[in-house]
Amino acid sequence: MKQLIKISNRLLLMSVCVIFLASSALAQDDKETTVEKPAKAKPVKNTFQSVWIIDNQTVMVPVKKTLEMDIMHRFGTVKKGYEDFWGFFAPSNIRLGASYVPINKLQVGIGITKRNMLWDASAKYSIITQTPHKYPVSVSFYTNMAYDTRKDKDGSIFKYESQRMSFFHQLIIARKITDKLSVQVAPSLSHQNAVNGYYTKNDSTGTATFKEMKFDHFAIALSARYKITNVTSVMINYDQPLTKHATNNPNPNFSFGVEMNTSSHSFQLFLGNYYNLSPQQNNLYNKNNPFGYTDFDDTKVKGGNFVIGFNITRLWNY
Amino acid sequence: MKKLVFIMVVVMGLTSISFTISNNQDRKPWPVPDKDKKMKNPVAADAESLKAGKALWNTHCKSCHGSKGLGDGSKAGQLKTDPGDFSKADVQNETDGTLFYRTSEGRDDMPNFKKKLPDADDRWNLVNFIRTFKK
Repeated sequence: MKQLIKISNRLLLMSVCVIFLASSALAQDDKETTVEKPAKAKPVKNTFQSVWIIDNQTVMVPVKKTLEMDIMHRFGTVKKGYEDFWGFFAPSNIRLGASYVPINKLQVGIGITKRNMLWDASAKYSIITQTPHKYPVSVSFYTNMAYDTRKDKDGSIFKYESQRMSFFHQLIIARKITDKLSVQVAPSLSHQNAVNGYYTKNDSTGTATFKEMKFDHFAIALSARYKITNVTSVMINYDQPLTKHATNNPNPNFSFGVEMNTSSHSFQLFLGNYYNLSPQQNNLYNKNNPFGYTDFDDTKVKGGNFVIGFNITRLWNY
Repeated sequence: MKKLVFIMVVVMGLTSISFTISNNQDRKPWPVPDKDKKMKNPVAADAESLKAGKALWNTHCKSCHGSKGLGDGSKAGQLKTDPGDFSKADVQNETDGTLFYRTSEGRDDMPNFKKKLPDADDRWNLVNFIRTFKK
């Protein structure tokens, strides 16, 4: 537990440092604006154009009474090239989601993902919004609970119903540095209710269990958006796992792409390593590695396992 | 026969010209309450406001009204109501309050932007930007 607290403290410190370093280097525009009109210190708008930045949530919570529908798609890896048309004709993963903002600053949502027939229920709350002379950053908290509804008649996958559940919590800290550039740091904690393992000792002196993975997994996501025009942006994102597991350590995720927006739509097209469409599954089980590396037994593992994906969101205001 | 062809060509020409120049005058009247008409614009049309207005215009308005407010956006052809030409005097002579009211309330194809842009200053920024279309 102490170790967990230490890690989370470090994460927070790192996040704040990254945001402030970036801000001090690039916040010239804000200073100029506030000098001209010190009385008009309104919260900064549109730090991001969508609630999504590729696979991660952004700090944004839409205005009250906004209904949002999400369609998210991840194709197969591009590695086979023409054989499956760079993953387009490979089995794909799909998520359909809907969310609503019933009161100011709170968004609640549900969704279902094709892989594992995973249902999710989520909530995002905007804690503070970047405001000149008041708050240097915007901060939101995102949490979700997922339920794996795969059929398991013989109980070979899940011994108990509770093992179908997993959880994700994320603190999202973002700053709109200029009109065009926004950056975000998001430390997260994923929790799985079931971990495979076996007894290494089970005798009269007691038991010792080897667990393949830990139940809790810390990670950090770094994201940025740069607007090319008022409606078109480029996005970049990196997810770094922090927790070391005994086996099955997940790979990091590197993704980049473009975002196009209209009054009611956001369309994102990108390349990345995450195939799952649930943040805890991505952070815990990502098998697609972006970069090549040499394993502990000196075997060289090739990188470049990217998948093409898109997110479409449609907003309605009631 | 030649006369008939000549008359038909003249009539067709005049008809098409009359359709072209009628433009904003054919639009359904859009009455605005007096108190809204007289509402004062609290946002100065400075560079900051015009920049914000342009960004909002490009995201929310351009697809129907066009980049210069001529009513020639990519979706304009699918609309049941004419989006109008904002560069013309009949639009530019309207009060800021009138433009603000119509932007906020909407009607028919024109959405209600009070819900989408709940901060009134955003809609005033749009009004300021619409003024730049004046020819």
